[in-house]
Amino acid sequence: MSQFRAKKLDLGCFINIRVIRDHTKRKVFAEHEPERQALRYIIRNTTLPQRTRAQAQLQLSQMHCYTRGTQIKNRCIMGGKGRGVFRDFRLARFQFRMNALAGNLPGVKKASW
Amino acid sequence: MSVPRSRILDLMKAQCRIFSTTFNPERLRLGNKVLRQRLRGPTLAAYYPRKVATLKDLQNLYPTFEVVNDAEEDRLNKIKVAKMRGKGAPKKKRTAAESKKFGKKRGGGGAAKPPPT
Repeated sequence: MSQFRAKKLDLGCFINIRVIRDHTKRKVFAEHEPERQALRYIIRNTTLPQRTRAQAQLQLSQMHCYTRGTQIKNRCIMGGKGRGVFRDFRLARFQFRMNALAGNLPGVKKASW
Repeated sequence: MSVPRSRILDLMKAQCRIFSTTFNPERLRLGNKVLRQRLRGPTLAAYYPRKVATLKDLQNLYPTFEVVNDAEEDRLNKIKVAKMRGKGAPKKKRTAAESKKFGKKRGGGGAAKPPPT
């Protein structure tokens, strides 16, 4: 959501709204991760009173969806694509091919045998 | 050769103290696995490359030097040519009345009524 978005764009890669959104989600997740983990610990700890654990469950489920790690999706940094993205290169398959053939990716070589 | 349980518990306690883990002989679910997990936030937030410096920053740093920004000049040239041909962008509407007229035209649906003269 836009209330989390940075006022000034701080991205140096390909930019479209989906990339901005994902970047915002990443930053929000990093900010709220300790809180989420603390709540998860309270929920998992069976020695704590049941009431406390139920409250923690409620609190965790009521946190904003942007603070959730599963909302984050790796996108291509040169085309913003969300599918077929190589994690090691952070590029989608077509961008990867183009850059690899152009020799922009060190150590990547077309296989031939 | 049987070892008493108390002795094994002592061993476990010492083991936990040395390796700084939680001593939990009853095997209760204490949720310690959550505390053991590393925080993934910083690595995930560093996925996209950040903006380092722009030509604008360079110009602001050295106001006395002339910085040539090709892309910006191209853009301004294009706008100038478009304006000369009368194909430029319309002026920004400042008042509500001006913008309302524009909105009515677009959101009609049927045949638009001609404005009263």
